[in-house]
Amino acid sequence: MPTTSPIPSPIASPIASLAGVTKIYGDGDTQVTALADADLSVYPGEILLIEGPSGSGKTTLISILGLLMRPTRGDVFIRGERVSALRERDLPPIRAGAFGFVFQGFNLFPALTAQENVAIAIKMKHPRARNADAEARRLLAAVGLANRMHHKPADLSGGQKQRVAIARALAGDPAIIVGDEPTAALDTKTALDVMALMRSLASEHGRAVVVVTHDPRLERFADRVARVEDGRVIAVDTISHPHAA
Amino acid sequence: MWTLARKILLHDRIKFTVAAAGVSISVMLVLVQIGLYLGFMQNASNLIDHSTADVWVTGEGSENFDFSAPIDERAFYKVASTAGVARAERMLLGFGQFRLADGGTQGVQVIGLDPGARLLRPWHVVAGDVRRLGEPGAIVTDITEAPKLKVHRVGERREIFGARAEVVALTSGIRSFTTSPFVWTDLDSARAYTLYPADRFNFVMVEAAPGVSPEALARRLSALPNLDAYTTPQMSGRAQHYWSARTGVGAGFFTTAALGIIVGLVVVGQILYNGTLEHLKEYGTLKAMGARNSAILRVIVYQALISALVGFVLGGGLALLAQHAMVAANLTVKLTPALVVGTAILTAVMCCAAALLSVVKVLRLDPASVFKG
Repeated sequence: MPTTSPIPSPIASPIASLAGVTKIYGDGDTQVTALADADLSVYPGEILLIEGPSGSGKTTLISILGLLMRPTRGDVFIRGERVSALRERDLPPIRAGAFGFVFQGFNLFPALTAQENVAIAIKMKHPRARNADAEARRLLAAVGLANRMHHKPADLSGGQKQRVAIARALAGDPAIIVGDEPTAALDTKTALDVMALMRSLASEHGRAVVVVTHDPRLERFADRVARVEDGRVIAVDTISHPHAA
Repeated sequence: MWTLARKILLHDRIKFTVAAAGVSISVMLVLVQIGLYLGFMQNASNLIDHSTADVWVTGEGSENFDFSAPIDERAFYKVASTAGVARAERMLLGFGQFRLADGGTQGVQVIGLDPGARLLRPWHVVAGDVRRLGEPGAIVTDITEAPKLKVHRVGERREIFGARAEVVALTSGIRSFTTSPFVWTDLDSARAYTLYPADRFNFVMVEAAPGVSPEALARRLSALPNLDAYTTPQMSGRAQHYWSARTGVGAGFFTTAALGIIVGLVVVGQILYNGTLEHLKEYGTLKAMGARNSAILRVIVYQALISALVGFVLGGGLALLAQHAMVAANLTVKLTPALVVGTAILTAVMCCAAALLSVVKVLRLDPASVFKG
């Protein structure tokens, strides 16, 4: 049952936060404000859902949060460091350490096995990594795919593909997992399984999980829900879970 | 990363086969065309390169070794008496009509040498006795020209321009640039075979005295009236340059080789670019997660190098087959180590250049694009 409050009372410092972030596309008559004065913080151990209608600014919000896009105005902080002023070439190492991404379409290399898909992410994040294959096996085991490591995406179910994508997102042990409609292509049971996995990543490993979704069923796994409309974060609701009391 | 690049590349085997075929054809064209060119150029200066002369003297203004202007005996004696000349030998190079056993004729290129010539002799002798070359009417032909001359063994007798000729020895693999088979003989017989006047010939081959540099001697001999003199490497270069540059032969071969490279560039470039486009979301995902451009570019460059390696091996094999097949047509495809190594490097560079479009695409890939559906 959601309760509305401007900002929840955190139990820790935010891992990432946006302060007064505005994003304007184009200029002159074609100018469009995709995001306006957005304030949002992400805390370790929580699942934060971002909900809103299509075109409301959700994607722009997570793109800026994930350091994939620069805001027109405002600041982005990662672990308290203001990173929005950094040069573009300084951002990849920060993204590598802080973020993993999961997408609706999985974005797995079809030619590679599950293990190789995870290993390539590890090697690309950390080119000098020597134990990428072992680490990939460990991550796949952690998401319940110990017996599917040598299968290619075409031989995996949708839920299994998404688990591979989650294992890949965990490469390099990022503090924040960002999911863009990660359950949209899955049936209800599989979608709930995937979210349960996300929940455990947050609860047991202290990661922050930020998920963009249209699916209200996912709220049962969330700690907070940020609602975005017309480019504005109109509310951040804390979800109370009776079973968590 | 090599393994990953290979797997991504080989995932679509049909596309990879097309890419490998493109590179193979490119490699084969480069090797065969330049190999043929080198073979022709080798033939163009074959006689010069196998002589032990230090300096070659010819009529003034003669640009083509095979069609050199005649000079006379006075020139020979002037050369032979020039300071720094240890030995001088005459050589005639002209054309004659060889009467075949079946009654037909075949144009031949006659090489006439002084009796007891030491500075140039037939080499690769496979049958007979080349020492008999000084005997009147004795000739040496090449066994690889047997299909043209219908001469298969020592002792066979023919006529050249009506003059008697007896095969006293056979060589193997000595071919002319003009495709007219060489016929070696003594100077007097050569004049009869080519209808040259009795005191005419084309070249004086010179051995420099000990301590005399060929370059200095060539300059000294060039000062003689109506004569030009060149060191043996210069003469070799002139013979090759004439056929290569003045006749357009070189341009023809290299244009075909260049077309081969363009074919390879286009095919590999298109395949790699398509492959990159197909994996744009995956590459974007990796970029979003912090992978540097250099890491992704390495995968693309590795794919280009794998295409180059496979294409080079296959193309090299095709070139060897072509080389073998062209022996039957009496054509020499000279695959030198330098040509093979150079083509390998060229192939790698070509494939990496073909990957440039993909590289640009990845460099410009906005990691935020992964959120765009």
